[in-house]
Amino acid sequence: MSVLTGRCLCGALRYTAPARPKWTALCHCESCRRAASAPVVAWMGFDEDAVTWHGPRAIFASSEIARRGFCPTCGTQMSFQSTRWPGEIHLYAASLDDPERYIPDLHCHHGEHLSWLKIVDDLPRHERSAPS
Amino acid sequence: MIALTGRCLCGSLSYQTRGSPFLSVYCHCESCRRATASPVTGLFCMNRGQVTWEGERRYHRSSPGVTRGFCGTCGTAMHYMTTRWPGEIHLYAATLDDPTLFTPSAHMHWADRVPWLQIADTLPKHPRALP
Repeated sequence: MSVLTGRCLCGALRYTAPARPKWTALCHCESCRRAASAPVVAWMGFDEDAVTWHGPRAIFASSEIARRGFCPTCGTQMSFQSTRWPGEIHLYAASLDDPERYIPDLHCHHGEHLSWLKIVDDLPRHERSAPS
Repeated sequence: MIALTGRCLCGSLSYQTRGSPFLSVYCHCESCRRATASPVTGLFCMNRGQVTWEGERRYHRSSPGVTRGFCGTCGTAMHYMTTRWPGEIHLYAATLDDPTLFTPSAHMHWADRVPWLQIADTLPKHPRALP
């Protein structure tokens, strides 16, 4: 069975995940942008139990309900979990060993998007979170 | 633009610049994409002496001559330095307190871009580094 594999910049932290994410989304929210240092990030959602980690993962609680995981060696952002979505873990498409396999489904938090990033596509654009 | 200020996600690491960037670009290279866990990032370039830091930076040498700085508390990537361009520091636009101040002038490493982020603008698109 095919799986998805990914890694941080230095390679000290790796994961294996199911070949098909439960959902995918491009997120424009200020918190994701600042965590990653980028104008937009690309997410993949999985069941937490379906993702296997190899290597140390540092956790930062970015809000009362959110925990962001990153590589303590190189800083690469690696995961997002929230009590809002219990049992789920969200991984960054850009950390995939083969990021070209990614297919985004929609834009979320488009109400916070930066005007200098000119993305043109036909994907749904949700002002805030995508309806679950 | 006289001074720019920015910070990591948790706020324990911040910076202030004196003067404006001499260059502002998008970078699509695989190393920047992986460092920022993102399909593309925006960088603005300063002389190192123009940037004052508050807080503790952690460093990662991602390739020979390249030093990347990040916040050890929250992981936010903060800057890129290379011996190829000594004296320069490249900071991430998304760390600015007001990221709307960023004005990109070109795309670099366009040949490395991911196919699923459809960017359409009139900026120059350099296949690799700037000429």
